[in-house]
Amino acid sequence: MTTSTLPEPIAGAPAPAGSRTGSRTGINTRSETQSETGINTRSETQSETGIRTGFRSPGSGPAGQTRRSNREGFKINWWLTALMLAASLTVLLPLYFTVAMALKSPDQISGTGLAWPNPMNWENFAAAYVATDFPRAFMSTAFVTVFSVLGALACSSLVAYAIARNWNRKFFRGSFVYLLSAMFIPFPVIILPLIKQTALLGLDNPAGVVFLHVLGGISFNTLLYIAFVRSIPVELEESARMDGATTWQVFRKIIFPLLAPMNATVGIFAFLGSWNDFLLPQMMIADPALQTLPVVQMLFQGEFNTNYSLAFASYLMAMAPTLVVYILAQRWVLSGVMRGAVK
Amino acid sequence: MSAASLSAKAEPSRRSLLKAAGLAGAAFMVPLSGCGATSGAHNGITTLRFMQNKPEVVAYFNQVIKDFEALNPDIRVIQDFNEGNFVPGLVRNDPPDVVTRGFAQATADFVKKGIFADLSDMPVAASIDPKMQDLVASWGQYNGSEISALPFSLAAAGVIYNRDIFEAKGVAVPTTWDEFIAACETFKAAGIAPIYGTFKDNWTLGQGLFDYVAGGSLDVAGFFAKLTAKGAAISPDAAESFTNNFAPALPKMLQLASFSQKGAASKNYADGNAAFAKGQAAMYLQGPWALSQLVAANKNVRLGSFPLPVTNNPADTKARVNVDMALSITRNTPNMAAAQRFVNYLLEPSVVNAYNEKNAAYSPLKDAPAVENPQISGLNTSVRDGRYYQGATTYFPPSVPLYNYVQSFVYTQNGEQFLAALDDEWRRVAERTAV
Repeated sequence: MTTSTLPEPIAGAPAPAGSRTGSRTGINTRSETQSETGINTRSETQSETGIRTGFRSPGSGPAGQTRRSNREGFKINWWLTALMLAASLTVLLPLYFTVAMALKSPDQISGTGLAWPNPMNWENFAAAYVATDFPRAFMSTAFVTVFSVLGALACSSLVAYAIARNWNRKFFRGSFVYLLSAMFIPFPVIILPLIKQTALLGLDNPAGVVFLHVLGGISFNTLLYIAFVRSIPVELEESARMDGATTWQVFRKIIFPLLAPMNATVGIFAFLGSWNDFLLPQMMIADPALQTLPVVQMLFQGEFNTNYSLAFASYLMAMAPTLVVYILAQRWVLSGVMRGAVK
Repeated sequence: MSAASLSAKAEPSRRSLLKAAGLAGAAFMVPLSGCGATSGAHNGITTLRFMQNKPEVVAYFNQVIKDFEALNPDIRVIQDFNEGNFVPGLVRNDPPDVVTRGFAQATADFVKKGIFADLSDMPVAASIDPKMQDLVASWGQYNGSEISALPFSLAAAGVIYNRDIFEAKGVAVPTTWDEFIAACETFKAAGIAPIYGTFKDNWTLGQGLFDYVAGGSLDVAGFFAKLTAKGAAISPDAAESFTNNFAPALPKMLQLASFSQKGAASKNYADGNAAFAKGQAAMYLQGPWALSQLVAANKNVRLGSFPLPVTNNPADTKARVNVDMALSITRNTPNMAAAQRFVNYLLEPSVVNAYNEKNAAYSPLKDAPAVENPQISGLNTSVRDGRYYQGATTYFPPSVPLYNYVQSFVYTQNGEQFLAALDDEWRRVAERTAV
């Protein structure tokens, strides 16, 4: 907000992201550099540890790192590390159950469920693939997700930019309150009228789900974006205007790239929300051939019978893209978190 | 600083990722917009939407539909098992053409609102066993006489027993309550749990212990008819109340519960299936829906079923039934003729009998052959003679947490409190819904 930090955002913008890339891919030398810069060293090390225990073998990564840090005189909070290790079990244990269950044949399912199946029953994946017509359901879910994410990024950032830069006008302040007030309406209350309305508009299909996802996310996403846009100095835009940029060009060339960390946050929220959404597709999509994965996976749950092995095999297949996106995108999320902290 | 060069590398990858995502999205859009299938007639082919309530038989019905389409090339049937889309379909005024539903309170609400077409003039309606048709009608009829649904599959539930354990201990299938208790005592003396209890899943207590004993000892349908007729003016002292009708049955429920294995309170339905299939108890108070799970857990298990005798007169013994699937056609369908042809086909003896034989259920046709499946054939005489009832639990509106009451009754053994609570709940619902 203050003018003294004016050049910071541009010059420093991608820096944390870049240096974190280094620390992740390099041989951990960069983490030293980072800690020297002194940006909240403690939380940095901890978040690294958390991630490593989550996705790599809990033994090797953190141990090596803590030893190195120790030699350089950093104090290790062993209690907190132990707590993080224990907390990581909340992710690892269910994940283990999912994988183990997906590989079991029906007669291997009994007892605590902790036993690893022997022999492993890989056919579950093939059976689940056929039963759910996986490619078609996957395409439908991917369609909904991709356009929901793109729509959320485009619409919410535009709205936020307009509101944040016209804050002195009553209409824009009012529209912000109006958008925010949408967050107070519980979705199930309006679902049947929405179904009626979308049917009249011919949107009882995945496109309608995309539309509602974008619309439903706009209030929360705008809230996030507005806070961020306000932290971008207006002087940057003024200089661009001096060079003859139009409002659209200012947004496209200056503001939107600077929003990158928030784009990542919003994009990931939108991705998870629409990839995993059950209620809206279930109620909205009239044609069963266009139904999305979470709804199709109900196939494995009868009133009295749940086919756990096929269900979990299918859940794993549906989960794979989420995991991939998370692994690809996590550094942007974290860099976004960092950015807010430093400011 | 090297950060700048690193950021330069990070930047294009982010942009190209977004670009790739956009391209992929555009690629998805093309096939999706092409294959939007809606019901109705196009090029002389009528497309029917068939909403089916049992996800586990989707593959079976795909085959049935394929056979039907081969015989009726002018009709295409799309199967949908997403029952959650039924109400939205009604809201959109675009419901599926043919619907199967389990028949109980919730479906009866749709019937009373006239959602389904009258099927009474379909010739195939005459081939249905009238007693089974009565089960559907017992939930109320639109305009007093319409047939809104034709039963397709009847599930009969009794006591599932392990034939090997019965034979090893020389126990015959009991036909009276005393014989049943004697059999339980025999197993108990031999160190075998007589009944596998899964009290953690309270619905298993409701459909098993509560429904079986209530259905065997009193006229459930008659009781609820009188109770409903009494309306909101019901008091615990009234002759129609739960307190005055269910009290004699309660000690038997507790006796039944006492024959369960140790630790039944911490076992759920899935645990029960796994344990019973492995021979950890002689009997299991479950319906035919558990059979496939039991066989999946142990394919060598030899099972049978018998209706639970609750009195000492074998002629009183009845089975608990529910209309597992009933066929309906939505009233406003634009494809009435095609829908009727499909329903007719589904109720052809070769189709409906084969389905029920395969899925351990009873065919609704008058002249259906006797069920040969040894797992359920012990219930044949009860079903053939019409000695059956719909479970007392199914008469309760969903707003009454009946299963929780049954569960706490089994734990606390306080029958008076249990029945007083039921009377109270019923009265409150009646007051709310009184016209």
